[in-house]
Amino acid sequence: MIGKLVFALVATALAPVLGGLISGVDRRITAWLQSRYGPPVLQPFYDVLKLLGKRPMATNIWQVLCAYVYLSAAAVSVFLFFLQTDLLLIFFTLTVGAVFLVMGALASPSPYSQIGGQRELLQMLAYEPLLILVFVAIAMTTGSFKISAVFAMDKPLLYSLPLIFVVLGYALTIKLRKSPFDISTCHHAHQELVRGVLTEYSGPYLAALEIAHWFEVVLMLSICALFWATSVWGMLILVALTYFVEILVDNVMARMTWKWMLRSVLGVGLVLSVLNMLWLYAN
Amino acid sequence: MLDTLVFMVVVVPFLVAGLLYVVRPDGVRKLIVSAMALVLIGSALALLAQGPFLMAVPAAVNELVVLLDFLLLFLILVYSYKWKSRLAVWLTLFQIAALAWLDFGLADHGKAGPAIMADHLSLIMLLVINIVGSFIAIYALGYMKVHEEELALAKSRQPRFFFFFILFFGAMNGLVLSNNLDWMYFFWEITTFCCVMLIAHDHTEIALKNATRALWMNVLGGATFVSGLILIQKVAGTMFLTDLFAMGPMGAGGGALLIPLFLLVFTGFTKSAQPPFESWLCGAMVAPTPVSALLHSSTMVKAGVYMVLRLAPLYAGTFLSSFIAVFGAFCFVATAALAVGQSNGKKVLAYSTISNLALIICCAGLNTPASITAAILLIIFHAVSKGLLFMCVGTIEQKIHSRDIEDMRGLYGVMPKTAVIAIIGVVTMMLPPFGMLLAKWMAVESAMGQFLVIALMAAGSALTVLFWARWAGALLSAPFDAERPEKLPFSVRMPHVVLASLAVLLSVGAPFVYYGLAEPVVAMYYHAQAFTMQYGSFVSSTGMFVVYPLFILLGLGLIFALRAAGRVTPSEIAAPYMCGAQTTVDGKAAFTGPMRTPVVSVSGNYYLDALFGEKKLSHLANSVAIVLLIIMLGGVL
Repeated sequence: MIGKLVFALVATALAPVLGGLISGVDRRITAWLQSRYGPPVLQPFYDVLKLLGKRPMATNIWQVLCAYVYLSAAAVSVFLFFLQTDLLLIFFTLTVGAVFLVMGALASPSPYSQIGGQRELLQMLAYEPLLILVFVAIAMTTGSFKISAVFAMDKPLLYSLPLIFVVLGYALTIKLRKSPFDISTCHHAHQELVRGVLTEYSGPYLAALEIAHWFEVVLMLSICALFWATSVWGMLILVALTYFVEILVDNVMARMTWKWMLRSVLGVGLVLSVLNMLWLYAN
Repeated sequence: MLDTLVFMVVVVPFLVAGLLYVVRPDGVRKLIVSAMALVLIGSALALLAQGPFLMAVPAAVNELVVLLDFLLLFLILVYSYKWKSRLAVWLTLFQIAALAWLDFGLADHGKAGPAIMADHLSLIMLLVINIVGSFIAIYALGYMKVHEEELALAKSRQPRFFFFFILFFGAMNGLVLSNNLDWMYFFWEITTFCCVMLIAHDHTEIALKNATRALWMNVLGGATFVSGLILIQKVAGTMFLTDLFAMGPMGAGGGALLIPLFLLVFTGFTKSAQPPFESWLCGAMVAPTPVSALLHSSTMVKAGVYMVLRLAPLYAGTFLSSFIAVFGAFCFVATAALAVGQSNGKKVLAYSTISNLALIICCAGLNTPASITAAILLIIFHAVSKGLLFMCVGTIEQKIHSRDIEDMRGLYGVMPKTAVIAIIGVVTMMLPPFGMLLAKWMAVESAMGQFLVIALMAAGSALTVLFWARWAGALLSAPFDAERPEKLPFSVRMPHVVLASLAVLLSVGAPFVYYGLAEPVVAMYYHAQAFTMQYGSFVSSTGMFVVYPLFILLGLGLIFALRAAGRVTPSEIAAPYMCGAQTTVDGKAAFTGPMRTPVVSVSGNYYLDALFGEKKLSHLANSVAIVLLIIMLGGVL
């Protein structure tokens, strides 16, 4: 038990470092795809350190509260993941963070952050059912929602849940804030949105949100890794390939509207899940 | 001792109600209601300490109940006639005839049995009714004073109001303590009558219209109730719940008992306002807010789910049970979607109640130890948080004269304490580590293997998060007026604080709530244990919910966030981004518009009328619900 706790604590402490590195590599690959040189791999850390040193400014105190609750919830969900607890519980903890991010955005009277908040809610409406279905499918295969049960399998989950992995990919794209689903906020500003939910955040508070996002990226990629839990190399290759596809999708797709998102994500997600479950039962 | 306690919770409220009808001075009424609240809470706790029991009553009492039952039905008939609801008249006439047949033709009067029975499910209901209900009654004292001042009535109608309000307690307590189904039917009809009279209380045109609708829908439930009783008497030859449970699942009559069980469960659906009957509960919000708080949290609609849950061991493992699960899951999604389309705070609360009741019904249908545990925890936690939220909306409405969520923007500036309490209410409804989410987690995990049910649950919980988060955000939203101290009378403030604390403390004590209340019910009827506790976590074969670790970690996070927010100085507060054209109008964020005129920025939530509009969606929801009910009926026949 103590060993597991220490492992989870260390993993949680390292998660933002890993998240930042992934973000740096992401920027380099994106630049390469766009025939640019791109920033150094450590650039995300320079950005966050610079933000942390800035004078704090906010439009009201609730924003500050919400930013730090979001950060805490994201860290706790990563901790619970590496403690190998319950997938559904981790999902609910993740929701705490997402809800407070929205509340923080809605706390400011700025039209951009308000629109961002509303759109973030619609994004949640799109990815939450999918994530629950993914977790249920995993649980129906392993017989338990506990992550430890996934590691007890002798065959990778991907063999039995290939379509579910695609469903997870949809949720991942939304969570990573990549096109075509970067409609509530994005890594760069957009004309009608500025930076949506992040518009009114600056300085250390924006840094807190950035770190929270790194936690979430690590968590989502770890969930992807569960699909090849039988070997470490398998996990690494699967996650690397998945992330590369995410970057490709981001670069070849345009941003779409929330209506299109709800229709396509929920429709495709549900059909794929049902097909996968039917196929699983047929075997 | 035992009979005194039962007398206290069942008969005393009837006497107090009568007393309140004749007493007019405000001070005396306050005293009587407060004393009754203390007695009810004390008796309910004492009964819990006493544990489960059976109690026989003298034959004369039984005859009195039969007599009163007919009187009540005639009273309902009079009102049905007065309000010109032909449907209600016919349904009531049917009930009178059917009850006469049941009582004088069929029932075996030689067969005596304990008319009163309390197992842990009844005791839980007693706690919910009397503790949550009592605080709402105290809140009603302060609320009704302001309510009548606003209406500027020549003669106070509070005696009438409190007569029906307090009657509810006796009827509900009687209902959950009945072993004799004939008695349960009697108390069931009293709750219908009280509810309808309270909806009609303000005597406006809309109040009467909605009361009439509530009347016919609930009388329909009464008619199926009495039909179910006749069939049970014919098939099983008994009117006592204990006898039915002794026969085990499906009862002695085998499949034949399924038809009356379906009728009784259907009766529960009407009372719990499940689609296609959801309109009566939405209409009930025309009544003064304490009525809504009482109906939605601890009484009335909870009687419906109590019925479904009470009978769950009898239909376990049947086609009916799985279909109840599907029906519940569907109603859970449908009514959550309806809530998304609403900007009226009370309506959002109403649809969210129906949605949560549907989830309880779904859990009863899943009929596993874990799902029954989930249903019981949902009843408890929902009662506290929903009672609290209704009181908040009532208090807010009396101050800002609107119940629209959009008008609650910046509420923190106007009513800082109430806003924070309302946010606590919302957060305990939708986020972990609080009890509602613990129960939802149990519900989803127990549905594992039933893909349709779980897919519906997934969609429903995403919709739930959407409408709650939006509301909480609006409460925190700027612009704030200058902060002013907020004054409220003690009878209004105290119930808010108590229920908010209860919502949090009960969640912290979730393991104790589980072991003390929910686990005994499951052990009694399912002879199995759903969860064990390890390291302050709920553990089952399929998963684990870490209650205490999560409370500690998220609690630390909250403290950290509160400290950070507390350190913000006024000089660090900036105006929002308006593309460089920002200005202010009366301290509110604005931008410089055309012709250099300042324009105050106005924001609103998305209510997505095209997708979630009530007109379109409720037709669809009702049609599907009717189809599901017909299939269910077809299946049992």
